Amino acid sequence: MIQAYDWAGGREAMLRFGPDTGPVLVAALPLFEEANRTRTFLVTILRALADRGIASALPDLPAQGDSLVPTRQIAIANLRAAFADAARATGRPAYSVAIRSGALVDGKAILAGRWHFSPQTGPELLRELNRVRQAGDGGDFAGNSLSAAFLAELDNSDVEAARTIRLDSDPKNADARVTGAPLWRRAEPDNAPALAALLADDIAAWVRACEG
Amino acid sequence: MQPDGSLEVENTVRAVLRDVLGLSAERVAAFRADTPLFGALPELDSLAVAGVLTEIEDRLGILIEDDEVDGEMLESFGSLTRFAAAKALG
Repeated sequence: MIQAYDWAGGREAMLRFGPDTGPVLVAALPLFEEANRTRTFLVTILRALADRGIASALPDLPAQGDSLVPTRQIAIANLRAAFADAARATGRPAYSVAIRSGALVDGKAILAGRWHFSPQTGPELLRELNRVRQAGDGGDFAGNSLSAAFLAELDNSDVEAARTIRLDSDPKNADARVTGAPLWRRAEPDNAPALAALLADDIAAWVRACEG
Repeated sequence: MQPDGSLEVENTVRAVLRDVLGLSAERVAAFRADTPLFGALPELDSLAVAGVLTEIEDRLGILIEDDEVDGEMLESFGSLTRFAAAKALG
């Protein structure tokens, strides 16, 4: 089901999955190109959670997805404000579920808990954006025109404490590790249904433990 | 440089090429030191190079500066592995 939510900068779409009662997982895709590479995977996770009786929402954030806001206007503060308003709009206890740089946007929302898969900090994203720009013509960032203010903001943006899951090939700190390939690196979008089911199990057990 | 560490770096580079370029395990298992990469693998375009380098950085805990990236380093599986090993173990 497609709903909408309002934030200070306008109205954006929000996909809903699962039951009409209980807590809601508010999901965040990575920013920019990695969103295209992980959208099918994240939706597979959210549908698996619906099968496990847990509801979720996937909001379009300003200047991401089908949003009409130009990328030039993107700001961490706007992304966080919009995500917070999307969580509030559900009217139910909310938890975040974020992949990669999606973990940067849940910092201002009122949440009962945060769950991050392979989270990426602002400086790490900035480094990748600069590398991608160099690989292109050195002008925009793989088709995204970004403001100097946003790039400066990224350099100072970190992720909140969360239950953190990483791939076993990733040496950074994690609460648990899973076997799989980094779909967000693949030029051709792909899916990993078995990994999605495994992560849905982890999220479901975590939410139930948090809810008591 | 430790031989064990070198093998681990080689296996990491192999796994990164498989995961980032979407190559089969059989195909990357057949890579030898003189297997040509940039210019020979159609999957390895300049954007994919960015992904390969960043993923190698993450998995080995190293930083690769942009001025270190050139055609020679990406010429073959052996040259890329030697570069990564020098960074990670050197």
